[in-house]
This record gives sequence, C-alpha cells and structure tokens, in this order.
Amino acid sequence: MSSPQEPSLLVIGTDFRCSPIELRERVAFNKESTEDLLVHLLAGSGVAEAYLLSTCNRTEVYVQPRDEDEAYRSALEMVFLKRVPEMERPGRLYVKRNGEAVRHLMGVASGLESMVLGEPEILGQVKAASSLAEAVGAEGPVLRRLLRSAVSAGKRARQETGITAGAVSIGYAVVELARNIFSGMEECRVLLIGAGEIARSVARPLVERGARELKVANRGMERALGFQQEFPNAELLSFEERLAAVSTADLVIVSTGADEPVLTRRNLQEAMAGRKTQPLLVVDLGVPRNVEPSAGRIGNLFLHTIDSLDHLIQRNLKLRKEEVPRVEEIIDQEMAHFRTWFRGLDAEPLIARLQKQAERVRQQELAQALPHFPAETHEELERLTRSLVRKILHHPSTRLRGRDGTQDLSRLDLVRELFRLDDDDNA
Amino acid sequence: MQTFLDAATILLPLAYLLVAVDYGFLFFAAHPVAVRTATPALRGTVAFHLAYLVGLSVRFGQFPAATVSQALSVVAFAVAVVYAFVEWQGRERSTGFWMVSLVFFFQLLGSVLTRPNPPFREIFHDPFFATHVSLALLGYAAFVVAAVYAFLFLQLYRELKAGRFSTFYGKLPPLEVLERMMIGALSVGFVTLTGAVVTGAFWAESLYHDAWLRDPKILVTLATWVLYAAALLLRRLRRWQGRQTALASLAGLCAILFSLVAVNLFFTDFHGFL
Repeated sequence: MSSPQEPSLLVIGTDFRCSPIELRERVAFNKESTEDLLVHLLAGSGVAEAYLLSTCNRTEVYVQPRDEDEAYRSALEMVFLKRVPEMERPGRLYVKRNGEAVRHLMGVASGLESMVLGEPEILGQVKAASSLAEAVGAEGPVLRRLLRSAVSAGKRARQETGITAGAVSIGYAVVELARNIFSGMEECRVLLIGAGEIARSVARPLVERGARELKVANRGMERALGFQQEFPNAELLSFEERLAAVSTADLVIVSTGADEPVLTRRNLQEAMAGRKTQPLLVVDLGVPRNVEPSAGRIGNLFLHTIDSLDHLIQRNLKLRKEEVPRVEEIIDQEMAHFRTWFRGLDAEPLIARLQKQAERVRQQELAQALPHFPAETHEELERLTRSLVRKILHHPSTRLRGRDGTQDLSRLDLVRELFRLDDDDNA
Repeated sequence: MQTFLDAATILLPLAYLLVAVDYGFLFFAAHPVAVRTATPALRGTVAFHLAYLVGLSVRFGQFPAATVSQALSVVAFAVAVVYAFVEWQGRERSTGFWMVSLVFFFQLLGSVLTRPNPPFREIFHDPFFATHVSLALLGYAAFVVAAVYAFLFLQLYRELKAGRFSTFYGKLPPLEVLERMMIGALSVGFVTLTGAVVTGAFWAESLYHDAWLRDPKILVTLATWVLYAAALLLRRLRRWQGRQTALASLAGLCAILFSLVAVNLFFTDFHGFL
C-alpha cells in the first residue's frame, strides 16, 4: 500500500490572460451565487471539498475530489459551461492538478498571477472567499490547510519582499511623488485644475491617504458639481481663481482638455514668489500639455507629466519583477510545509494504531507483572512503563510525521508491515 | 595600553569601512544580512571608538584633541554617536551609509595623521579652554551631519526635478524632512561654533592680546562662521530655498576640512592643536 506525496487537488479557472472582460463578467460569482454553487458542488458524489475564487480578473474553482473525473465534469459544468458555453474553446480555461494547483493558489495569493504584478487586494479576496467556503462547510481539512498556507505565502511575500512596493497606477504614482517631497500627506493641500475622470482617479488615493485640503477649479460648473458629489469636502473654485489658489497649494494636478497651457511659467513664478521656501509639486496630466514645460526650471517647483509618471510606474514594475524569484522561494517553502503536513496527515492514523498497540502490550505485560510486586510499587511501575512507551515511540512518531524533514513514505509501509498495523485485530 | 591604541588606530577606520559597506548593502540592495547586522555593527564600532578615546585620554592625561588627528577622531566619534542616536530614535536607517562613510573618512584622515607622541598641553587643563575645544568639536560634528543631509537633499532634489527615479528616490526620507534635519543640524552647529569663537576670543585675548586675530586658523574659522551665519539668516528671511542652503552647507564642510587639516598642518603654529 503506498501513499501519495501530495493531496489530490484540481483547479479549473479563467483569468484576464485567457478571457476578455465580456466572458469573465459572465462567470463572475457574487456571495450568494458562490454559496449556492459550493453547496451544489458538494451535493455531487465526486467532490469532497471545494473553494471558489471570483474577482474581476479571475474565476477559479478548487476541488478536492473523491472521484477525479466526476469532480472535473461537475466543476467545469457548474462554474463555467452552464453560464458560458464558449468557455469550452481551447485556451479559455486552465486546468491544474495536485502540486501544480497548490503552487498556482499560492502564486495567486502572493500577487504573482495578478494583472498588475503584486497587486495587494487579491490576498483579502482569497481570505474572504475562504471564509465563505468555510461558512457553507465546503472547506475540509485539505483545502483549509492549503488556504492557510496560501495566505501565509501571500503575507510573507508582502512583508519579506518588495513585490507590492512602489506605485503602479497614475493616482498612486502622484501620491508616491508627494510622499518623496512633503513630510506627510496630512499636511498636503491639493488643487485640481480640471474635474474629469482623470482628476477623480488621482483625487481618490489622495483623499484616501488623508490630503488636508482639496480644491477644484473647472471651466464648466456641471462637471465640478459632479466632482463635488463624489468628494463632498472639495471646495469649488471658478477657473479664474486657479492662479491665486496655486500659491497656497502644495500639490497641483492639471488635467484639462485645453489646447493652450492653463498655467504658464510666469503664473507659476508669481505663485512661487509668494511661497518663499515651500516646494510645489505640479502634475500635468493633460495632452497636449496644460503647463508650460519651461516652468520645470523654476527652483523648488517639481513639474511632472504623464510621461514621467509612466516612467515611475515602469520603474516600480521592474523592481517588482526583480522580486519574483524571492516570492517563488517563499512559495517553495510554504509548499514544503504543506506537503509535510499532508504526509503527516497520512501518518496520523498509523501512529495512532502504533500507540494503541503499544499501550495494549504495556497493559498486558503490566497485568502479568503486577501481582509479583508489592502494592506500594504499582503506581510507580505504572508511571515507569507509560514513560518507557512514550519515550520509545516519540522518535519514530516524529519521523513518521516527517516533521524533521526526513520523511520517506516507504517508512509508513515498513512500519505497517513490521507491526502488522493494517489489521486492527492484530493491532 | 600603547599596543591597544596602536592597533585601534589601524582597526578603527577598517571597522568603519566595514560598517559603511554593510549600510551600503542595506541602502542599495536591502540585503537581508545587512538588515540584521548594520545597526549592531555600528554600535559595536562606536563602543570600540569610545574605548579608543578613553584610552587616549588615560594614556596622555588630557582630552584627546591635542592634535589634528585626535580632533578628527573626536569629530568622527561625535558624528557616529549622533547618527546612532537618530537611527535609534527614528528607526530611520536610510542615511546610515552616507553618514558612516563620512565618519570613516574622518577617522581614516585621523589615523593617517596620527603622531606617535602628541605634545602635552598645559592649556588643556584650563576649564575655559576645554569648553572652547568641546564647543568647537561639537559644532564641527553638527556641521558634518548637516552636510550629509545636504548632500542627500541635493541628490533627491535632482532626481525629483529631472524625473529620473534611480539611486536615491524612494529610499530616503522626504525632501522636507531632509531639509528640516539639515537646518536643525546647521543651527546646533552654528550655536556651538559661535560659543567656541566667543570663548576662544576671550581666552586668546587674555593670553595673546590682539596677535591672535592675524592667525590663518582664526581667519578661516571666522570665514566659516560668516558663511553659516549668512546661510541661516537668508534661510530665516526666506530668501534661500533648501537647495541654496544645502550648497552652503557643503561649502561649509569644505571650509571646515580646510581649517582642520590644511591650515593646522601648514599655516599655523598658534592653533596647532585643533
């Protein structure tokens, strides 16, 4: 009788690399539909444990099968084909098994499989999906432990490597620039010139990071009011007031559709004269440019455009890519822990039988021996024999569990054979 | 004791070099070994340096600033202690490589200029004079710290201005913080240097009358004092931005080095100690 090195596991999924948004949105699951799906999967005969991860970039179902073919068929049908029959086309889905599936989940939790490498939200999504599976009873010992290992890999990747370091979106790149200039975002006064979608996407992370003041100057009042609806604390200014506002702001974001600069070098020189020693960060997100480029030569004024932000983002992505081997090392370590646990899982019943058998022998021998010893020594003999058995079995048990990293599965068979542990009657 | 002092003269710059390399690995590569070892290595080296200075005091029976070499070593020690304190307080290690590199440079210069038998100076037992020397050394140490912050400020400023995000970007405290630390160190240095100049003037006047005013060392020191005074005043009046103040701080460091090394070695007898 031999035992597998890894649990039987299957993942079927699709992500941004395999399917466009039009297909992904049709196989996206909300909380209710996830619960419903997991319950139905478990109701079938092929699936012992199940877990579904559905985010905007991926939908994946993990199953621990009782019957592999049956589990594959039911998971494929219920999660994908029932909703989107075109998913059957080659390349739309990926299927991974056993160790490959384990590695995949750990890669997902660590952000290696994300559209933006190292994207931090995925770890929370993996945890939330796990809680959901646990709540409906779909997680058994294998998936529960696997998810714990995956979450641990994700956390370690964030803490021990730079996989999530550096901004990789325009909004956060602006925050990152501001953080390299100003002592704290809480002290940062922000002026937005232009109130379109770009301005909003930059304002969100700034507000999230606690920017002290938000003013917005826009030509049209309608769009400015729309902006204020999303950011109720924003102060609306007329477009003409923008020049005066620059001198009291720390960060100016310009994103208008104007063909001519809305801030000239002269405007900014005048504003800087009033600021004395305070630095000013100006981010020009307009194309064509909204700020006269020569303004970048003014002392203590830092002028950045969409190109320099892109340069920053590319640099951060490159740094993240350089961290991938270190994340993979962490995944290898977590996979090794998981495998050890799994093999130990296989060894546990055997160890229990071994202990039971040893205890039976101890009791038999003790029963025969006790009448030959004075009564006052019986308690001591009892303690002595228990201690002997425990100490004799301690090392073999540790080795069988493989916690010393030396496990060889053939040992389980050998122990079974040597102690005749397969047959409970003999044990 | 002499054997220990001789060995320490060679080992101290080597130890600071190793610590600087360790901090370099921390700054440029966030190397896990450097992450663990840099701070303990610095603290160990500072303790060794303290033992060396105590040894010098005991061996020669006077405060270890009787020669240029000893004065440089005291400045290096003061900078290392100030940095170790700042690191401990703020858990901020990004400036360590630059700070320890400069400490290494000062100690190396001190070790190279060591003389086997420094002169015994009666003057060092005058408390007024001891105050003058201590204030001067403290001032120099503060100016060295300010120069490191000034250098880092200028590098980060340049990268942020040019949109080139390479060596310094993202690894240092923000510009405003670097500037604040630089101004803080400059202010401390200026106050202590002023104290040193005033105490020195009183003391020299009583001993040498007005002859001391023609000494090159005094003239260079006064020029350095004026430079720092102007930089701080223009900053205070908001005429200078961080960049100009940082450049002035670096110019001040050059003046200090010139005053400490070149002037002492080649131009002055009167101020032959420090």
